[in-house]
Amino acid sequence: MTRRALHRVLVVEDDPDIQVVASLALSDVGGLVVEVCGCAREAREAARSFRPDLILLDVMMPDMDGIAVLEGLREDEGLAATPVVFMTARAQSHEIARYRALGSLGVVAKPFDPETLAETLRGLWEGRDS
Amino acid sequence: MTTALKDLTGEYAAALREYLEEGGESPLFRAYQIGRDAVSAGLGVLEVAALHQEALVGDLLRLLAPDESSLVARRASEFFAEALAPFEVSRQGFLEANSVLRDLNRELERRREEALEAYRAAQDKLDERRRMEALKDELISLVGHELRTPLTSIHGALGLIRGKVGPQLPEDARRLLDIAHRNSRRLARLLDNVLDLQRIESGTLAFDVRSQGLLPLLEQAIEANQPYAEPLGVTLALGGDPPDVQVKVDGDRVIQVLTNLLSNAAKFSPPRETVTVSAALRGAEVRVSVADRGPGIPEGFRSRVFQRFAQADSSTTRARGGTGLGLCISKAIVEGMGGRIGFEARPEGGTVFFFDLPGRAAVPPPEDGA
Repeated sequence: MTRRALHRVLVVEDDPDIQVVASLALSDVGGLVVEVCGCAREAREAARSFRPDLILLDVMMPDMDGIAVLEGLREDEGLAATPVVFMTARAQSHEIARYRALGSLGVVAKPFDPETLAETLRGLWEGRDS
Repeated sequence: MTTALKDLTGEYAAALREYLEEGGESPLFRAYQIGRDAVSAGLGVLEVAALHQEALVGDLLRLLAPDESSLVARRASEFFAEALAPFEVSRQGFLEANSVLRDLNRELERRREEALEAYRAAQDKLDERRRMEALKDELISLVGHELRTPLTSIHGALGLIRGKVGPQLPEDARRLLDIAHRNSRRLARLLDNVLDLQRIESGTLAFDVRSQGLLPLLEQAIEANQPYAEPLGVTLALGGDPPDVQVKVDGDRVIQVLTNLLSNAAKFSPPRETVTVSAALRGAEVRVSVADRGPGIPEGFRSRVFQRFAQADSSTTRARGGTGLGLCISKAIVEGMGGRIGFEARPEGGTVFFFDLPGRAAVPPPEDGA
C-alpha cells in the first residue's frame, strides 16, 4: 500500500449534535471530506458507498455498539482493511489495549478537542502499519 | 445391661467430656441425643423386664398358693412387691431423666434457631449492602457516560467558535467564551475523576503495566501540562540529571499522577517561578519528585491531603479550580502499581510531592528497545 494523506472520513455517531461538531471539526478545521452516519446498523452500507480512508466510530450507540459494528466491517471483504478509530469516554489502558486488539487504530476520548481532532486522526493514520 | 446400652453409656461419657473440655454446642447436643437413646433403651429394657417379672411372679404365686386368699399367697405377693419396688424407682428415675433431657433439647433447639435467624438476618443485610453498592457503581458509571454526550457537544461547539471567530470577538465576549470553554474542560476532568474514584472504590481500577523508560513519561507529562502552567506564569522543567531507568508501570496512569501533581504545583506557585520534576534512584526503587515554591501545606491540613474532596481551604476551590479528587486518585494509582506517594516541606520554602516506583537502572540497555 502506498502512503497517501488521509482524505475521507466516515463518522458513525448517533448523537446529532456531536455529529455536527465532529463533522465541522474534521472538515472545516481539518480540511477532510466527511460523511456522517447516524445509525450503527447502516454503517456498513454507508462505508460501502462512501469508501472512506478511515472510520471514526462511536463505541456506545443505542442500536448496536461500536465493537459489533467493527466486527461487521471486518467480515466485509471490501472494508476489512479500512482503519477504524473508536470514540469513547476516557477508557482505561487495558480497554484501549482491547480496542487495539480488535483491530482499531486507536481511541479518541470524549469530549474531544475540535481544534486537534483531525490532527489526531492524521497522526494515527500515518502511524498505522501498512 | 445390654451391649447397646453399654455402648451408649461410653459414648455419652465421651461426648460429655468433650463438651466439658472444649465447650461448644455440638458435643452437648450429641450427649443429649445419646442420653435420650440410652433412656429410651433403658425404659424399654425395664418394661420388658417388668412384664417378665410380673408373669414370673404370677406363675410362682399360682404354683405356691393356688388359693389366692391364703396366707402364703398374701406373704408371697408382699415379698414380690417389695422385690419389684427398686425397678419402679429406676423406672421413675428414667422417666425424670427423659423429661429433663426433653427440656434440654427444647432449649438447644431454640438456641440453634436463634443462631440461624441471626445468621440469616446478617446475610440479608450483606446482600442488601452489596446490591446498593452495585447500584451506586452502575449509577455513577451511567451518569459519567450520559453526561459526557452533551458535554462533548458543548465543549466541541465552544472550541469551534473559539478557534474560528474567537480572535475577531470583542474582548468581553472572548473572555466569556474562554470561561465557558475552560469550564467545559473542567467538567470533563471532574467526570473523569468521579469515574476513576468509582473504579477505585469498586476495585475495578485496572493497570496495563509494561516495562518502559521513565524519562519519556516525565517529558510527556511536562509537555502536556505546559499550556496549563503558562497562563499562570509558571514554568515546568525537568531538573537535575534524571537517571536512565526502566520502570514497570502503566504509562498513561503515571502521566495522570504527574498531571495532578504538576497542575497542583503550578496552581500554588507564585508567578515567574519554576516547578521542577526530577527523578532519583533509591535502592531498587526510583523516586519521582515535583517541587514547587508555593506557600506550603498548612500544618492542620497535612493529615488530610490524600483524602477525597480534601481542600485546604474551600476558597481555593473557587479561586484555583480543582475537584479535591486528584491526590486521592493519584495515591490509589501509585499504590495500585506497587508504589508509595508522599510529600515534604522544602526547607527553602514550598513543597515536594514524590512517588516511589519499582524500577531498575537500564544497564545494560534492554534489547527490545522498549
